[in-house]
Amino acid sequence: MNAILLLVFRRVLVSVVILLIVSALLFCILRLLPVDPAAMSMPPTATIAEIEAKRREMGLHLPLPQQYAIWLGHALRGDFGTSIHFRRSVVQLVMSSLPATVELALLAMVIASVLGLGGGLLLFHMRGRRVCEQILDLASITLLSIPEFLWALFLILVFGVWLEALPFTGRLSSEFQRPVVSGFLLLDTLLVGRPDMFWDCVRHMLLPSLALGVAFSPTIMRVLRSSLLDVYQEDYIQQARLRGQSEWRILLRHGLKNAILPTLSLMGVQFGFLFGGTLLVEVIFSYPGLGSLTVDAVRNADLPIIQAVGLAYCVVVLVINTAVDACYLVLNPRVRVA
Amino acid sequence: MTIEMDRRTALRALTLVAGSAAWAGNVIDAFAADDAVTIGWPSDVPSWDPNQRFTPDAQPIFKLVFDQPLDQDPKLKLIPKLLTKWELAPDGMSLAVELRDDVSFHNGDKMTAEDFRYTFFERIKAGHKVDTANSWRKVKDIEVQSPTKARMIFSSPAPTAPQWLAFLGSYIVPKKYFESVGVQTAAQKPIGTGPYKLVDYQLNSRIVLERNDAYWGPKPKIKRVTFEIIKDPSARVAAVQSGQIDFTINVPVREVARLDKEPGLAAELNPMTRIILIQCRNDLGFADDNVRLAAHHAIDKTALSKAFYGGAAVPLSVVATPGTAAYLPDFKFAYDPKLAVALLAKSGFSPSKPVAIKFATTNGQFPSDFDIARAIQQMWKKVGIDAEIETIEYAKYFELNRGSKLPEATLYSWDNATGDPEIFAGYLLNPKLPFSAWKGQEVGDRMAPLFNIADYDKRIAGWRDLNRFVIEKGATIPLLQSVQTVVRKKRLSYVKYANGWILADKMSWA
Repeated sequence: MNAILLLVFRRVLVSVVILLIVSALLFCILRLLPVDPAAMSMPPTATIAEIEAKRREMGLHLPLPQQYAIWLGHALRGDFGTSIHFRRSVVQLVMSSLPATVELALLAMVIASVLGLGGGLLLFHMRGRRVCEQILDLASITLLSIPEFLWALFLILVFGVWLEALPFTGRLSSEFQRPVVSGFLLLDTLLVGRPDMFWDCVRHMLLPSLALGVAFSPTIMRVLRSSLLDVYQEDYIQQARLRGQSEWRILLRHGLKNAILPTLSLMGVQFGFLFGGTLLVEVIFSYPGLGSLTVDAVRNADLPIIQAVGLAYCVVVLVINTAVDACYLVLNPRVRVA
Repeated sequence: MTIEMDRRTALRALTLVAGSAAWAGNVIDAFAADDAVTIGWPSDVPSWDPNQRFTPDAQPIFKLVFDQPLDQDPKLKLIPKLLTKWELAPDGMSLAVELRDDVSFHNGDKMTAEDFRYTFFERIKAGHKVDTANSWRKVKDIEVQSPTKARMIFSSPAPTAPQWLAFLGSYIVPKKYFESVGVQTAAQKPIGTGPYKLVDYQLNSRIVLERNDAYWGPKPKIKRVTFEIIKDPSARVAAVQSGQIDFTINVPVREVARLDKEPGLAAELNPMTRIILIQCRNDLGFADDNVRLAAHHAIDKTALSKAFYGGAAVPLSVVATPGTAAYLPDFKFAYDPKLAVALLAKSGFSPSKPVAIKFATTNGQFPSDFDIARAIQQMWKKVGIDAEIETIEYAKYFELNRGSKLPEATLYSWDNATGDPEIFAGYLLNPKLPFSAWKGQEVGDRMAPLFNIADYDKRIAGWRDLNRFVIEKGATIPLLQSVQTVVRKKRLSYVKYANGWILADKMSWA
């Protein structure tokens, strides 16, 4: 337990440094773009004098390091500025969108894990059966080569348009009024005791999370299979066989337990990509998360939102990586000793 | 063996899940009532403060929750709304108005002239960050003469003030409510006088409105209106095809014919008061009149319309759309590549010795924009204009123009829901405004007096002359009247507005 706390503590310290670096990079890159936030925040009929006054009000006439210091000072107090397009608090906008994306990414990760681990086991199980192995291998490569937005379109076509089985816009049917407790809709529907709403929410999330999950599952599948193949070369597997243990028991107690570690590390890294992949999928499914907000922000050159969203992505990825490392620590005693 | 069993169980579970989902979906459909409509809309409102941002796509939503002082009929004629009478002074320096006395906001407060003054004067003076501060910057004061009478006083003539009372951002907001709860809260819990009340809002996802049964005007037939914010055009197509929404707009033009053949659906292309044009500079490679006029004569607008809008987009010769006041139905600017070659030859250019220009375009701002630019590039190449295409973001147009960084030609689109010529040529070609890439004073000098003519007929006659002059001068190249694509369930009828407004309060199920 102490080792885990120590890891988390170290990670928090490192994360602060990473966040500072990322925020400085984001700030500089966004300021170097040929976009004038002052002009963007004024109506087209604004005069040059009015825009200049706005520029001064926003501190854009100051040197870049001074601008960053001011921005950081505000950010540390929880003030990330006001959106140019929405003219609302950026924190408010990001916090109202972040839970939706986190929920979507987590469900997608669950789907990717189930499909990936299941598929990996199946691939491993079929090892040596030449035709089956090749077919499954080809299938996993095919899955790997289709990006998530194509899955999204395919799933909409099949389950939305042809079968008309699942909704593919928004988070909840219009008959329901969204409960606001934590911002996490799945959780909130349970907290207010509405299983019908919970089910409706799950139905809305199924297709976008499937699109994301299916796209990421083949990597997990292939890493698990190759890890299992490596592990099965180890002496302790032979010894377990000699002791007369069943193949199923060997797989669960020895094979999977050791092969899961690299897979888990990969899943941690994958989550970062998966979280980034929500951007396009959210737009396609009209899912009101960070992705939709980012697309709006980019279209309108809404720099305060782009900056805050970039940091929000960074925070989520850091948190997930810390959690994965903690899991790794729990599952792998060698790391604890080291 | 065990794995095999698990797989079967998993498959059974999956089938059960899919079956339940389908069943649940069907049950929901079965309960869908005819007094509700779900509209797939391409963008969210920027804020629920209707005075704050000028966003054309948000106007049909704002018009359901808030009312404007004046309204427009489907042919764009100004008609009364919250105002019963309005009279512009002969010198255009003031506008006397009379308001209805039977209008209440959604919270029950009566709408009076004080709210009119607050909306168009006090908010601006108080420094609220609203775009209406720009459109109503000429307002020097609003005298409230009684709860239903007021007079707007302008610092300079404002002949289009009545048009602006039915245009972007001009929605009356409740003074008492704004002052008691603050602007931020008022923008989160909007209260208007409109035919619908906002009951649920999820940023970038959904807007749910319910009929305001205490509405002062005609009661809408639809009780509940849901806007699903679906930004991706393909997703809007899929949603309407699968029946998840009843109505949508701005689907790809190529989908219209296909969707119209789908049972239960109707799809159409409606011309609207949005024009597609090429904004020209009066210097650099376009300094020579012959080059600009040749560039115009070289474009086959009918071919562009056929190729990219199924022939539904009307080719334009002036900066106005058919049916609007300063449109010139008898004036045609010819497609004549031979004349283009001859004009270029006068200036020493030919297909073998072309004039080099840059041509900016957006990509995805309006249907087929980039493709239209590429087609024009090819048409120009044939006559001796070598255009290098560069892509710009629509949001950056003004910034580039202010810094004189726009190239010789820029493909642009312009929305003018009022149809008034001042908001067409008066904005697009006014050298003083950031909308106009043309900075030549000859146009500015001819235009300046038109902003001060209060007499409607005289004013329109002036704009008609100017519309012809700017084309003959080569100051701009109007291309096409844009079209709006609409897909709906056949049973759902709506009113076609010439400016593309889609108003749910005018919808009904057959």
